[in-house]
Amino acid sequence: MSGSIPNSLEELPVSEIRWIGKGVERLEDPSLVTGRTEFIDNVVLPGMLHCAILRSPYAHARIVSIDSSAAEEMEGVYAVITGSDAARLTNPATTAPEGWGGYCLAHEKTRFVGEPVVAVAATNRYLAEDALELIIVEYEELPVVANAQAALAADAALLFEEHGSNVMLQRKFTWGEVDEAFDQADLVVSDDYRWNRLGANPMETFGCVVDWNPADDMLTCRGSFQSQSHMGLARSLVLGLPSNQVRMISHPHGGSFGGKGGFRGVDICALLSKAASGRPVKWMEDRLEYLLAGAGQSWDREYRLQLALKKDGTVTGLRVKLLDDMGGTAEAFGAVSAAKPLAAFTGCYAIQAAEYDLTLVATNKIPQSPYRGMGPPPHNWVLEQTMDKAARELGLDPAEIRRRNYIPADAFPYTIASGNEYDSGNYEAALDELLNMADYERLCAERDSAQAEGRLLGLGLANTIEPGVFDWNAYAIVGLESTGVPEGITVAIDVMGRITARLGFSLEGQGQYTLVAQVLADYFAVTPADVSIVYQDSLSAPPHFGPGGSRLGVAITGAALGAARLLERKLARVAAVLLQCGPDDVELMDGFLRVRAMPEARMHFAEVAGAMLARSDLLPEDSDPQPQATYVWTAPGRTPADEQGRAKSYLTAANACHLVKVEVDRDTGTVDILGYWLVDDCGTRLNPVTVEGQTMGGIAQGVGAALLEEYVYDESAQPLTSSFMDYLLPSVYEVPRVEKKALTTPSPFTPLGAKGCGEGAMHTTPAAIMCAINDALSPLGLSAREVPASPRRLWKLLHENAD
Amino acid sequence: MKPPAFEYAAPTSVAEAVALLDERGFDAKVLAGGQSLMALLNMRLARPELLVDIARVPGLDSIEISDGCLVVGAMVRQRSLEFFPGLADSHPLLLAGLRHVAHPQNRNQGTVCGSLAHADPAAELPALAVAAGAEFVIEGPDGKRSESAEDFFITYLTTTLEPAELLVEARFPLLREGSGWSVQEVTRRHGDFALAGAVVTMRIADARVADPRVVAFGVGAVPLRCTAAEQALAGAEPGPAAWKEAGALVAEAVEDPLDDVHASAAQRRSVAGVMASRAMEEAAARA
Amino acid sequence: MDEDKPARVAVTVTVNGRRLSAELEPRTTLADFLRVDLGLTGTHLGCEHGVCGACTVLLDGRAVRSCIMLAVQAAGHEVTTIEALANEGELHPLQQAFVDKHGLQCGFCTPGFIMAAAELLERDPDPTEQALLETLGGQVCRCTGYEAIIESVRDAAEKLRQQGVGPLELLAAALEKNAAPGGGE
Repeated sequence: MSGSIPNSLEELPVSEIRWIGKGVERLEDPSLVTGRTEFIDNVVLPGMLHCAILRSPYAHARIVSIDSSAAEEMEGVYAVITGSDAARLTNPATTAPEGWGGYCLAHEKTRFVGEPVVAVAATNRYLAEDALELIIVEYEELPVVANAQAALAADAALLFEEHGSNVMLQRKFTWGEVDEAFDQADLVVSDDYRWNRLGANPMETFGCVVDWNPADDMLTCRGSFQSQSHMGLARSLVLGLPSNQVRMISHPHGGSFGGKGGFRGVDICALLSKAASGRPVKWMEDRLEYLLAGAGQSWDREYRLQLALKKDGTVTGLRVKLLDDMGGTAEAFGAVSAAKPLAAFTGCYAIQAAEYDLTLVATNKIPQSPYRGMGPPPHNWVLEQTMDKAARELGLDPAEIRRRNYIPADAFPYTIASGNEYDSGNYEAALDELLNMADYERLCAERDSAQAEGRLLGLGLANTIEPGVFDWNAYAIVGLESTGVPEGITVAIDVMGRITARLGFSLEGQGQYTLVAQVLADYFAVTPADVSIVYQDSLSAPPHFGPGGSRLGVAITGAALGAARLLERKLARVAAVLLQCGPDDVELMDGFLRVRAMPEARMHFAEVAGAMLARSDLLPEDSDPQPQATYVWTAPGRTPADEQGRAKSYLTAANACHLVKVEVDRDTGTVDILGYWLVDDCGTRLNPVTVEGQTMGGIAQGVGAALLEEYVYDESAQPLTSSFMDYLLPSVYEVPRVEKKALTTPSPFTPLGAKGCGEGAMHTTPAAIMCAINDALSPLGLSAREVPASPRRLWKLLHENAD
Repeated sequence: MKPPAFEYAAPTSVAEAVALLDERGFDAKVLAGGQSLMALLNMRLARPELLVDIARVPGLDSIEISDGCLVVGAMVRQRSLEFFPGLADSHPLLLAGLRHVAHPQNRNQGTVCGSLAHADPAAELPALAVAAGAEFVIEGPDGKRSESAEDFFITYLTTTLEPAELLVEARFPLLREGSGWSVQEVTRRHGDFALAGAVVTMRIADARVADPRVVAFGVGAVPLRCTAAEQALAGAEPGPAAWKEAGALVAEAVEDPLDDVHASAAQRRSVAGVMASRAMEEAAARA
Repeated sequence: MDEDKPARVAVTVTVNGRRLSAELEPRTTLADFLRVDLGLTGTHLGCEHGVCGACTVLLDGRAVRSCIMLAVQAAGHEVTTIEALANEGELHPLQQAFVDKHGLQCGFCTPGFIMAAAELLERDPDPTEQALLETLGGQVCRCTGYEAIIESVRDAAEKLRQQGVGPLELLAAALEKNAAPGGGE
């Protein structure tokens, strides 16, 4: 189908591109800055009840008894449900890997602190929380599996007894002649690393309003769903309803970053609504719930990474061993994050042989969820930091060792060892641009003299790939095997000649409605403000997935162009009748359907659409009277994964190169970021202002990851970071000002050459900061190999004997 | 995260407030700015039966300078004190300290005396009060009493205030002419509670340190006045050697510091010494 | 059961220039009063423990966290929310600056940032970098990385200085105008 889409701006039917590629003001903003956007917590429906959830105080415990009678009798309470209701009425969560899911309310036992146990629906949230205090649950504590190592112990308690083990997945993938590369290496560099749990924490937590109509068994779920169709399908499986009786209505949400979650909340509200005779039930997850058991925890990893090198610094082999603590279940698809590194396993480097030894285990922590970057950020960090270690051992500059290993600019499209194909890139150009911009030589001299004075000042250089436009085949190794992720748009022109685009995702901050309006405005020679974007629910919209895996900007551009092209052809057929020529003789240009050979014979598209809708007398009887068209875009050329997980998966490969200057305070263990420079290349920038926003947001989250954010558990898997006083989001003080430049190497595979860029700097910033810290520590012979590099950790490292 | 039910009373005199507190004992809780209490209520970690809102008591929001003291009433918002005309001259230490207290949006509502009565050992105001030698005026069923800041703090979130007593004003003596001062702290992020911090005041007389006052905070159950460090400083020649030695004494004086996800006990102890040394250096430079 | 229930309290408060009276449970937070009772849903709840600042409103012109404040504490005071800023569809200079400088992405934290910035610029029309950081440091944004927010507030400050008017002054004038014909209670 991609053949029917314009592939470059030159192919658009306008003499001048006015909107695409420009920093167009966002259509979304006026509503947001005035507080008028309808976030889910603003929704009030007649008869609506409010849900509150009683959660397990134990990481692993058998539920002996539940007495909810006092809560049921409380005035204002309309429904109380427990795990036995869930077991009676629903199926366990669908998971990847399969078979590691529980019910929405813990049944018989709880697997993590914060797991929902009882839910109440009352007339307001205050009362619902009051009712929870009347419920008595008796637990019998079970032995706790507190971390990944404990999960592997021979006598470990089992999270899922039926599996006979806590290992969700254990496999070694080998790509190329890895053993040979290591056997023949001049140098093998190896290190162990630890990346601790962190997560999305969008400013708006998850919320939903659900009603289960008892008359027709229609389930209507309103909520902040990142992917409504995906969420809806899972609900139909869990709740045992036909997929066309589950209607998902997604509201604009206050950020997502992959970690919006809400599966259990929707199911719980559905059951409460059913129990309350179909009254709508709202659950607004509060921040404590989010931090305790929401979708905000990702990547709890122990790594060993080995590089095989030649004397000249060429890396010939890469071994990555990963043990990832997935938490109590696989319900939130956290395992996908361990699979995604396959899409960019060797980073920017032409490493021919690689191995991935992967173990995913269940423990009594909260199930892992996706988060911006979906897994590669820790992988990138351990690869980049080990590259630095190799450079140090070989006496090479970090920039030089990278340069010697880049995939050459003339080698694209390039298939990496783990099977994915990179579309395009020029990594050396990005590096050179960065070193120039930052005056790298001067910085190195400054670093050297500071270090000579005993200051712990360091520079960190990191370059990474951001795989863009995800495909399910990338995650085949954890059990998700389909190929192609559709995204559809319907473009319609009304009788007044106005354009409306209808699509199946709601806003979460990246400005995609504006992007659609930009594309259509240029196609039809109007302004973005002339285009209305209308959201449609999961049963109304064309096939869709929505945002995720840095895909939507590219996908929605393809869909909009495809629909516009189809609509143009429809208009041309009608215009041909009206202009009395053959349909192939008509073309669209600058908003007019005109006769190719006689351009002054023309009609504005609005007139043509008006004729279709209001002048049937002028049209042949068999003509289609709809001035609208739908196009569903999927990435071209994707392949199913082979037995080693290799596939053409992510369609695009954006690259970025960051340089950071930090200083570590030896006495306190704190880190100051003193300078930040970056060059990135995500192909054509469809709206440079929003692209830059994604970059800066990624940097902020990367700073959080490297220095601040961490979910800490004690030895009985009790969470110790349960509020924003302890889980620390970066503020304006911690996020550096950044000097940046963009290169543009268009993708040959996407509409208009754009690459996925939504995850942005999150891929690079943690690695760059950690590399800088380690450069600062190197004169002391120390290395920081645990993220975040918190003052507690760095102080311990610097004063090892004191603690 | 919704508060549990409670009764609410808004007395219009201190006597009325004290009577209510006396009547309800531990079941009542004073509400001033609420910046600590309300979060605890939302989390249902505090469960008072009655909230006694003292914001409607006239006169409690006054700030004045009298008898060589800056006198701060029970309902004076932290931000109001920060903007009190001339504070930069009359009590620059307090001004500098206040700017470390959370964020303006909290200080607009939070009160000075509320923070003192809440007695979080990682908070700046209790340490500032001890360093400044503040006196607290406390009113209870038996009338008024006065207590020094040093004696007021007992342990974590605990003071000598009886359930029926109200902290009605805090009196901060103005710094002596020629005093230098400094507040130093390490936080994870700007505005967070301190992992460890120090407040120092001193004068330099005849090229020697005079009247040193050294208080560490965030390291123990209460703000820690470090008399050993003060003794070492008194009469010492200002300079890195003196600061280092006195700082080491501060670290030594720290007993049983908190060990949590943000900093280890050993780190808090050591960093308290470092902060104290840095504060001494800055205070001396200002003296 | 009823006698166990704490008495409701009468609250009279001025919100966005209008005087309102309500009877509330004492535990009702100011944020819930604004959002649920008054339908002023532009004030958002991000953490409900006073850290994130999404719920920031003005109380007598001072920026406060409405999630850690009881509605009864606002009795007798003037509350200003994001809904008061735009005047007959025309964005307030602060709002316009956030649009112009891309100072928002998801927009959930934005009303809080704008209200906090309004207090700052009313007091200090030409804030230093330090003053900007101090105010913005009390608000959390997860999307933008802050740089664009700083630029937005700078831009608004400049525009307001050109107009020779403070952000709240502008608001007061608009509220007066809107309340004028048969306005008031």
